[in-house]
Amino acid sequence: MYPTTFKLRKLIGVCFLALYLLLGVPLWYKLTTTYRAPLPIEYIQALHDDRLHDIHMVIPVYLKCDSYKFPDLHKAVQVQVNSLLDTKDQGIPWSLQLMPYDAEKLQDSNNLNGSDYHVVNLVLDEAVGFSLAYDTKETTVFFDDPSIITNDLPFFIAQTLVEHAFELEWSVLSGDERLEVTNSMAISYRPNIHLSISLLTGDGYPVSWEIDSTLKKYFSPLRKFLSPLVNFTVDTGILYYNDLNLHTLNNRQNVTWKDLSHAVDLSELLSMNYFSEAASLNLAIVFPSEQNSKDGFNFINDNWYSFLVPQWGMLTINKYPLKQNSSLTENYLTPIMYQFATDIFQLLGLKKDSQELTSPCITIDSFRRITILQNIHKAEETLWSLVKLTQSFQTMSIPEEVLGNVTEALDLRLQIIDMLNDPLQGGDESWNRALILSNKLVELSEAAFFHGEMVQQNFFPQEHKLAVYLPLLGPITVVTFFGFIRLIKEKPDGKKRHSNGSEKSSEIEGKKSN
Amino acid sequence: MRLIGMVQLIGIASWIGLFSRVIRAVEAEGTSLGFEIDQDIDLQGDCNESLGNYKHNCKSGFLSNEGGSETEIEVTETVIEDAPQPTINLRTREDDSIAVKDQIWYPYSEHLSIKPLPKNYLLASFDFDTQSNEFVPGKPSTDFDDYSHYTVFPKAFKPILDQTSTRQLHLRFTRGFWDAESWGRLPHDGFKSGGSGVEIWAILEADSKDSAFRQWKTLVNSLSGLFCASMNFIDGSKTTFPVESFHPVDDTTLPLFDQNKQLYLVRAALANEPICTENLTPLVKLFPTKGKSGITTLLDGHKVFDSSWHSLSVDISTDCDDQTERCSHSLQALVDMVINVPNTLARSENPIPKPLPGDKLRCDLDKPHDAFHCFQLPYETEGSYGLSQLFGKYIQGSSLMSQEPSQVCVDIADSWNTFIQVNGSLFATTDNCFELKDFQQQDIYFESNNTNEVVDVEPVPVYVSRSLTGYGQDRGGLRTVFVNPQDEPVTLIYFESLPWFMRIYLSTMHLEDNPQSPVNISLDDILQSTYYMPAADRVRPTHLEYKITIPANTTLAVSYQFDKSLLQYAEYPPDANHGFEIESAVITVIEPTTYQLRTATLLLLLSTPDFSMPYNVIILTSTVMGLIFGTLFNLLVKKMLPVEEADKIQEGNGLRNKIQLFKSRIMAKFNLKRREVKTDLKE
Repeated sequence: MYPTTFKLRKLIGVCFLALYLLLGVPLWYKLTTTYRAPLPIEYIQALHDDRLHDIHMVIPVYLKCDSYKFPDLHKAVQVQVNSLLDTKDQGIPWSLQLMPYDAEKLQDSNNLNGSDYHVVNLVLDEAVGFSLAYDTKETTVFFDDPSIITNDLPFFIAQTLVEHAFELEWSVLSGDERLEVTNSMAISYRPNIHLSISLLTGDGYPVSWEIDSTLKKYFSPLRKFLSPLVNFTVDTGILYYNDLNLHTLNNRQNVTWKDLSHAVDLSELLSMNYFSEAASLNLAIVFPSEQNSKDGFNFINDNWYSFLVPQWGMLTINKYPLKQNSSLTENYLTPIMYQFATDIFQLLGLKKDSQELTSPCITIDSFRRITILQNIHKAEETLWSLVKLTQSFQTMSIPEEVLGNVTEALDLRLQIIDMLNDPLQGGDESWNRALILSNKLVELSEAAFFHGEMVQQNFFPQEHKLAVYLPLLGPITVVTFFGFIRLIKEKPDGKKRHSNGSEKSSEIEGKKSN
Repeated sequence: MRLIGMVQLIGIASWIGLFSRVIRAVEAEGTSLGFEIDQDIDLQGDCNESLGNYKHNCKSGFLSNEGGSETEIEVTETVIEDAPQPTINLRTREDDSIAVKDQIWYPYSEHLSIKPLPKNYLLASFDFDTQSNEFVPGKPSTDFDDYSHYTVFPKAFKPILDQTSTRQLHLRFTRGFWDAESWGRLPHDGFKSGGSGVEIWAILEADSKDSAFRQWKTLVNSLSGLFCASMNFIDGSKTTFPVESFHPVDDTTLPLFDQNKQLYLVRAALANEPICTENLTPLVKLFPTKGKSGITTLLDGHKVFDSSWHSLSVDISTDCDDQTERCSHSLQALVDMVINVPNTLARSENPIPKPLPGDKLRCDLDKPHDAFHCFQLPYETEGSYGLSQLFGKYIQGSSLMSQEPSQVCVDIADSWNTFIQVNGSLFATTDNCFELKDFQQQDIYFESNNTNEVVDVEPVPVYVSRSLTGYGQDRGGLRTVFVNPQDEPVTLIYFESLPWFMRIYLSTMHLEDNPQSPVNISLDDILQSTYYMPAADRVRPTHLEYKITIPANTTLAVSYQFDKSLLQYAEYPPDANHGFEIESAVITVIEPTTYQLRTATLLLLLSTPDFSMPYNVIILTSTVMGLIFGTLFNLLVKKMLPVEEADKIQEGNGLRNKIQLFKSRIMAKFNLKRREVKTDLKE
């Protein structure tokens, strides 16, 4: 009788299985899993679901009255403003912080560049009224003595401020309308925009235009005016033998906007994507070709007509072709530049309709605030998309840089919100800084989303991994598991022998009986 | 009239107000003045009351139309579907806003020169020159007063050049074989044509070599999109910084915008890039005529790329005026091609090739010929054809924006005649140069009774050919043959950039023994200077430049050996078995004349793996590992028994035992049946 090895063999089998399960599988999993940086998913989801409520934009407004002294007026107006704001459901909470005019404090900042803070001027007049200043962030409220006696003045100031001076905030933030961009005319906001001004003529005659002097005279001031919001880079060019395919409309009588938008071929202007700015606007002045349309475009009734092309720019179509050696003078270009300068506000999204801006300074100020909030919203949505992306592709790697960008973006967001919420910060400079930071916020969130290792599907799916490892894992698994199962099934040596012996004896017995 | 005008102006007063406010904020004096003037612009009567500029304008000739001209501004609210907006209509009875000048022209010129070559070939060289508007260097484009104006210079280049601080840019797209022995020198002495494929070099302003390389990457990526070529594949392993070749002739004229920076010359070539219509179309679009008038109308991709040899080139350089400190870019674009005339004519006549009928066959009469036998003559020596037959198109008019009309010049020998066809009539000139007429459909006709007689081709100073030697997949050799057919020695710079997977041994470089070369000559005698930058794997290519003098009437062969390295699995291109194209060597002759030529590209075969190999390796190793593991596991886990005991069990379980068992069972059944039969019988 030999010593039985059954227990030892069983132990070895168990050890192998344990090694396989406890060491092999985790090690394999660990070594072959892709790195997924831990993103603050819950925080981003909370941002997306709007559960944080950490934005409460406060805009400081200073009350100034030279004729009378109202020590408590700002408090009374504050109460009125608050109750007025409460009448509407506020999508994004905002409020005005009324403060008495402090000449010394404001003087310093005002000296630098015009007006920094919004100031309400109270002027004693014969009737009650208000006017929004053209060139400063100033609201003038006219009041008469009866309005003080009846105590209507605070309400009147509050109404003026909320419904007129801060009309844009009032309409955008305090409505059902959220910050989603619904304007189909305007391009999405970018801090740098390229502007292409093109003169197109259907013929090859040389033409010239006094564009440089016109632009310097009429467009440079606008560039400077809009510079807190948008920086423009401008180029101009003359394109020959191109009437944007408009001569095809010549045979038709009633040309509608739809026909025009179907016929117009902007491809040659669209394909000019050589500039580094992400967004671009165009102004194209088109002249028909003398050969194709000798009597000019029939569908243009006057000398020229201008159209807005949504998210593209302005198209000015001239009726008559240019003669040889024509030169467009400033006289010709000036009205077009005016028209374009008016429309550019619409293309930038500063206003929705074609109405004029009565108080551009105040509107731009408000637009800047809305843009900051839109940027924050956009960044939040991008981060939410990133979270959704990472959750739906469980095997996709999330590099460290993405986490870095996300953390930086979230920090930046808090920084911007601190600036927005601070009632004492509300000067031009702080809004500008917040805008720049919010642009950076959008950039960071997009950099996180569009990281090369993630969206380019540069990751190995799980099936691929399995296919590569199966030739090794298959045999080892089969050997280990089936070996173990056989060990379990195998009876200890003694029993087996015994059962073998009994089988044999029964067989012998059977033979004998036969 | 003025009053009405003023009333109508009120409507637009608000937006004018906006501007006047803006302007006041910006500049108190000049611009606001300009604004008031604007309110007057269309009111002719206001002339005398307005200030400054406008008064000047009123007097300046073309604007003043006394009495007759009246302009109104109307503000109308035009409702257009989807885009409601106000439209201002400027209605003029007699237009004063568009002046007609005596002559306007822009710095754009085009020229076509045609030269018949021996053996019925024809060289056509298109030359386009243009210049950009002046600009102030280094001014940021976000400056409120900075506007980039373009007239005839393509818009696409300046932003790219500015972004990458490129001072000079040279692009070459070349395909085909230039038969130097019969066609002579390359057009423009070879300085305007590249090696087969795409070649690009540029002079960049940068503060270090690394930043120059980064700018270069941006540049090639931008150009890649512009010209639809794979230039984005240019990386460090294809880029060289040439030391002596490619330098501009007058180096001093290149401006430095920032004096702290330096100029870097960077070059790369893609030898296996096919040149096709998608490269020509963007090039034609760069010209202001856009292929609609002048000689650009001839440029059709089907014909250009059907030629035996073609080359497209773009050269841009920056020129600055020291006094005014203003700069401008100048662009020269060339399209050169060699057309095989009989083939092209045959194809335009008969797009589907058919055998010639018997009567049109040209048989060699010196040899036996009849209805069934014909030895064809090599090529026809008489012929007449027009450019429209070769290019499939007529020339449409001339370039209108140039100072001089487009020109076509033909360089022919005495046995040739050439005419220009305008309106069905033919005209000839003494110098065979034709100025194209505006708006006319034109054609150039050639006729000759001996097409072999052409203007003497200029002799080539040196012939260079390069070939791969050796066999096997681990090493090879490179042999360059220089032939100097002239009676004077030629000094040249040899430039070669080889991929890193060709590991050359410079120590093996030697002059091969050649019966034609002088006996007592060694490489040291003729090699003047050598620059050698060895390759670094996947980082940079081998860069070899040497100056060599080839003695008169001598043939020399320089050769050296190299090893072929193995590439990584993912580094092989999709068509790995095609081989790897090695870019041409560039030879710049500096004495006695200046000339540049390139050798043909080479096709290097590397050992190419079977691409299912990795999976096979995985499977094989896994099988071996599985086998080892299985054996080991069984050794450890299976029951160990002495032989006797095993034999016993084997006996019990052995095959013989099983057969016996089976036999006994059958026998038992058989016995049972027999017993049953017996009992039946008994019954």
